[in-house]
Amino acid sequence: MSRLRGLAGYAGALALVLVASALIALVSTDVRVGNVSILYLPAVLVAAVRFGRGPAIFASIGAFVLYDVLFVEPRFHVTVADPREWVALVLLLVTAAVAGQLAADQRVRARRAIRSEREARLLYDVARLIGAADLSAALEDVAERVRRELGFAAVGVELADGQRITSAGPSAQPLLRAVDASRAVAPGRSPSAEKPGGPARSVRVMPPQLGRVRASGPVAIPVVGEDRRLGTLLVLTSAGRSPSRDEEGILAAVAAQIGTAIERERLRRDAADAEVLRRADEAKSALLHAVSHDLRTPLSSIIAGATSLRQQDVAWSDAEREEFLAGIEGEARRLDRLVGDLLSVSRIEAGTLRPAKDWHDVGELVDDVVGRIRARSMGHHISVELPDDLPPAMLDEVEIAQVLTNLIENAVKYAPEGTEIVVRARTAGPELRFDVLDEGPGVPAAAASRIFEPFERLAREGAKPGTGLGLAVAKRFVEAHGGRIWTEARSGGGSSFAFSVPIGG
Amino acid sequence: MTTGASILVVDDEPAILRLVRTNLRAHGYQVETAETGAEAVEKHQRSRPDLVLLDLNLPDIDGAEVIARIRERAATPVIVLSVRDAEREKVAALDAGADDYMTKPFGADELLARVRAALRRTAGPSGVSGVVEVGELRVDLQTREVVVRGEPVHLTPTEYDLLRAFVRSPDRVLTDRMLLQQVWGSEYGSESHYLHVYVARLRKKLERDRQAPSWILTEPGVGYRFVSQPA
Repeated sequence: MSRLRGLAGYAGALALVLVASALIALVSTDVRVGNVSILYLPAVLVAAVRFGRGPAIFASIGAFVLYDVLFVEPRFHVTVADPREWVALVLLLVTAAVAGQLAADQRVRARRAIRSEREARLLYDVARLIGAADLSAALEDVAERVRRELGFAAVGVELADGQRITSAGPSAQPLLRAVDASRAVAPGRSPSAEKPGGPARSVRVMPPQLGRVRASGPVAIPVVGEDRRLGTLLVLTSAGRSPSRDEEGILAAVAAQIGTAIERERLRRDAADAEVLRRADEAKSALLHAVSHDLRTPLSSIIAGATSLRQQDVAWSDAEREEFLAGIEGEARRLDRLVGDLLSVSRIEAGTLRPAKDWHDVGELVDDVVGRIRARSMGHHISVELPDDLPPAMLDEVEIAQVLTNLIENAVKYAPEGTEIVVRARTAGPELRFDVLDEGPGVPAAAASRIFEPFERLAREGAKPGTGLGLAVAKRFVEAHGGRIWTEARSGGGSSFAFSVPIGG
Repeated sequence: MTTGASILVVDDEPAILRLVRTNLRAHGYQVETAETGAEAVEKHQRSRPDLVLLDLNLPDIDGAEVIARIRERAATPVIVLSVRDAEREKVAALDAGADDYMTKPFGADELLARVRAALRRTAGPSGVSGVVEVGELRVDLQTREVVVRGEPVHLTPTEYDLLRAFVRSPDRVLTDRMLLQQVWGSEYGSESHYLHVYVARLRKKLERDRQAPSWILTEPGVGYRFVSQPA
């Protein structure tokens, strides 16, 4: 390609000199000009500026020879009769050569300036683009920008962590498929094969000018961070040419910028992780503090009850013994619930508890939960409102039953005995919505979101028996189902707790 | 029912072991104990107890493995003891051949009730046939007639097969997988949603109060239990 361009330069130079010769022929038939050979100079200068040093020198020599043959007596002969003409000829050659040289230098400088300006602008753009908050989008933009600027068929970034960022446009597919095929045949050329560890995924952008581009292996430029390989910048050139040295320089600079951006992203993520850990740590301390209080209370009752029963010097009546024993059992069961809830909270927070979803009959689930609670809380009237056409839903039966149980038990705890608790389930668009309505004192609006935090009840007046984790567990289970949970005041007094989860899971 | 049946109790917590042993002995059972899975398998082989109470969390062998080794030699009923939130573990144990499970911590009354129920099952005739009567529910396994509170109930073939699976294994936890395979066939096992829908339909036809079912109880996350005698 560049050879062809070089030949074209020489041809151009020749044409210029021929045109100059024709001009001289035209001029010298009418008028006798002193140094008509001066007309070759513009031709040489144009050749120098337009085509560079080689064609300029070629033009100088061409001018020298043509002038000698065409215009110096004896014409159409290389010999020169008049020695003065020799001087003119040599002067022509020297002047043309020097002028051509200077012009060609100028041309090189101008091109270099334009190129460095383009490079600078490209690198500036890359720096600007890669600073975007979303690294994947930034890499996509950078690849697109580099490809456009340098006219490559495709530019991509393979990340070491196997992160997929984008895909190529449809027009890119045939070429990329061809590349993938060639890489599959010759895995040694694949950049991902150079790197140990998991398979890298690639991001590629996007050749619109497909034409008859021949697929050859992509050029791989490593993206390196401070101490390790972070990925690969891949360039697929059109027509299988390799990038020029300049382009390689630019690509290296781009790869360095990408490396810096990836490192920066990692540091930012590390910092965010550290912040999350710090907050979690604070929350754990607060939780531990609250737990130690909540664990001690039932333990105190149990120890007091058991030691009382073992006292040798008192003769307890049967009723008294029964009271102590009931206290011990009740408090022990409360401890068991507390430990269970704590485990649930910590498992959900550690991300080890995933809902085991399956299709369940929702009415069945509500009936089952209400049946169990009704059996042990006789003081309230619990009613169930279920539409007949309630569809089955994709959910973790145990977890959603637990959510419902906790909400109803919460209502049982706070609403006065003898009042009614209504449990409702219905569909609301693509969601399944549950409501638990009570006639209790209601939740102050300011506390409406806080009460779903662990042990929040401790801050409220008149702490009721319970683990203080019921609503926190409920919130986490619902959120693990991709749903939400909330509470609001009922217009006629009392509160309503509601949650919704997607029907289809 | 204090017939002096022999029970092997397996748990690695000495305190639990002591309490359970004291309780069972006080009710006339002969009790042997083991603290590891290997010891349990060995003692089961040697003395062939009538019932095994097996904690799933043993230091050496996985609970399901212990059940499998016991099942290689005998059909001794096994009740597994497990903690809350370990539903998958319970299902695995039941699918491996356990008869029932109890969630720790449990009360003494619950323990004794489960032990009695398990022993009753082995004492009774295996392979229920003829007419099964449970309270106000009457199922004729020959004629496929189902009568609830004196009224004949029409069941679809699948509903009837499901009910038959229940009445044939009374007072026993049946996992989703067991029921699916019994009713739908051995190639089924993970299509729990069929089962849930059919159980809901069966309950609608049989139970008077769906919030207090008298026969088909849900064991959340594990399966169902058909109750033949109120606890």
